[in-house]
Amino acid sequence: MSEIKDMLIDVVEKIFKDRVEKETVDLVEEGKWAENVWSILDDNGMLAVAISEEAGGAGGDLEDLLNIYRLIGKYAVPIPFVENTFANYLLELEQLPVTNHKITYVVNLNETLNLNDDQKVSGALSNVPWARHADELVAIAKGNDGDYLVKVSLKDAIVEPNINLACEPRDTVKLDQVNVLNKSTKAITPEKLQRLVEVETAAKIALMAGAIEKVNDLTVQYTKEREQFGRPIHRFQLVQQHLALLAGETVIVRTAVDNMIAALVENRYQDEVLLTRIRIDEAIKIVSTSAHQVHGAIGVTHEHNLHQYTRRLWSYRDEGVSQSDCSKIFANKLLQSNENLWESLTTVKKQFQTH
Amino acid sequence: MKLPTVRFTEEQERFRLEVRSFLQKELEKGTYETKCDSWLSGSNPSFSKLIGEQGWIGLTWPKQYGGQERSSIDRYILTEEFLAIGAPVAAHWIADRQTGPLLLRYGTEEQKSYFLPKIAKGECYFAIGLSEPNSGSDLASVSTRAEKVEGGWIVNGSKTWTSNAHDAHFMITLVRTEPFDGVKKHNGLSQLIIDLHAEGVSIVPIKYLTGEAHFNEVFFENVFVPDNRVVGTLGNGWKQGLAELAFERSGPERILSTFPLLEELMAELRRQSDIDGLTQVSKLVAQLWSLRNLSIGVAKVLEEGGEVAIPAALVKAVGTKFEQSIPEIARLLVSTYPRKDADRKLDRLLAESILHSPGFTIRGGTTEILYGIIAKGVVAG
Repeated sequence: MSEIKDMLIDVVEKIFKDRVEKETVDLVEEGKWAENVWSILDDNGMLAVAISEEAGGAGGDLEDLLNIYRLIGKYAVPIPFVENTFANYLLELEQLPVTNHKITYVVNLNETLNLNDDQKVSGALSNVPWARHADELVAIAKGNDGDYLVKVSLKDAIVEPNINLACEPRDTVKLDQVNVLNKSTKAITPEKLQRLVEVETAAKIALMAGAIEKVNDLTVQYTKEREQFGRPIHRFQLVQQHLALLAGETVIVRTAVDNMIAALVENRYQDEVLLTRIRIDEAIKIVSTSAHQVHGAIGVTHEHNLHQYTRRLWSYRDEGVSQSDCSKIFANKLLQSNENLWESLTTVKKQFQTH
Repeated sequence: MKLPTVRFTEEQERFRLEVRSFLQKELEKGTYETKCDSWLSGSNPSFSKLIGEQGWIGLTWPKQYGGQERSSIDRYILTEEFLAIGAPVAAHWIADRQTGPLLLRYGTEEQKSYFLPKIAKGECYFAIGLSEPNSGSDLASVSTRAEKVEGGWIVNGSKTWTSNAHDAHFMITLVRTEPFDGVKKHNGLSQLIIDLHAEGVSIVPIKYLTGEAHFNEVFFENVFVPDNRVVGTLGNGWKQGLAELAFERSGPERILSTFPLLEELMAELRRQSDIDGLTQVSKLVAQLWSLRNLSIGVAKVLEEGGEVAIPAALVKAVGTKFEQSIPEIARLLVSTYPRKDADRKLDRLLAESILHSPGFTIRGGTTEILYGIIAKGVVAG
């Protein structure tokens, strides 16, 4: 990353360090809206990152966005930052007007809306993040002649509240013959749709990678502070084993995500998103198990903040494209390819265009 | 601990294909047979000479010493290609990986110009002289000693688990050149180049559980080592040895030892159109891909002279467990019966992988020792 990019990340991290405490995250669990966190980011122009200046945005690119998502995950930032910025990113990618309203998105291939010839949308989507707090929604709708990216107003929808394991809003949205907003429909090819879903998967991966970093940090810190049998617990070899496993998974994930982002932004994308998504599932299993074991009883109480991160990890890994989806997609690629495994791992293809 | 991402240049991609096509041709000619764990158990001096003729030993070294002055990323690519196809590179492996860099860093001009060109030609092999019968991971307890005499040193003691000592010409041997200090245990250790054909050296093979003998016990009985065979600074052997370990721990050989089995497994699943099996393989590929990123990142930092002890230990700890997992997963996905001399390639590679597996997490620092190093690193960091 360039120095300017590094600086942006430092600034955002400082904001989160200063403003997002355990109690701030607790607000979500109580069903509240963390207005102060939202407004700091809004005031600093962060809600418009990766939107071009011509469209009224703050500039920046996918790399900035994904690196900020890591921080959102690392601090469990309790606002729909990802949803808002990514929905606008999708809109701009498809040359649709971006919005100043609070907006969320669903680009899950398993659930889609229907678009009829009068440009009206119907259907139900489950697990829509933060829908109850959002004004608008970007989603995929099936028309008679293919798929469309559409934007609708949530004022016209029935929103039934629901939550994920971390008590974040994952609502059900029901639409019945609702007009798309300001002619915001855009036909997208199946290949394009696949790519949108992959970039969305990359966004989820970044969130999870951030949470993994935090779980590692919390655990290392805890082993220095907590004493048993007269010495800090990091001195015990069996605790050191957990620390080594945690450090290993954290570095593996960090490096995988760095490589994934580099591949995405340098347009030499191959299978990095699939492979990172498959690998991070293993990391989540190891990291959450070891971290809780090291923290002992305190880590499973509400008083401690470890669970704010592990519960997010356990939620995010089953949202959107899952590890098993990715494994199947990759297996099919292996079956259809003429290359041996080593060739396919070492061949560089330039096939992915985000813009 | 942040590691760089590396993008191979087009020139590097071309080099990869050049190496690959050479190895493929030699394989087809029958010069060698694909083997798992070929970097430690596949010793073939005539093949090593062939590799030397290509200029592929000491690839990164200065031209004046027989090297090619290429980048360590080029060397990384070369190493990967050897291992992916399972080529028998064990004879020159240690000399290329460890001895060369060590001599370039600490050796005298005379040592460099004498040894390096021979190594680069694939004609001179080295063994590692660290472990002793009673000091495996605890190197501070090394007790092989060297006493100063006129013009050199007299060495007495023994080294063990010495890979390929029977093929090797020399050994960089960690010895005690000062009396043991119970408090500063790492002090007073030095590195000497010992001629394994010198008088007083005897090499006794240690049979591995496969029945083969890649390891040896090496005994020194009043072996004379001239002064010009001291490497670096007297008493600095411990520090020099540690620098050597960073090269040893993070390379592709900690990830790819059983790769030929994974390749054959995938080919077999493809022949059977077994999509469920390939779905399982995708998890192994994701593991491999992520470890490879880590390992290449460490190679890049090494090239730039950065500090890599902790990430190098990580690559070895996680990578060798991955290598071990391949035979365990393979045997559940296809019907196979492991046999060392099987006609069916899958059965043979599975046998090699199973029988060599226990060593992966022991050689070059046990997983347990590495975990300790990593944990202390993250707590301090």
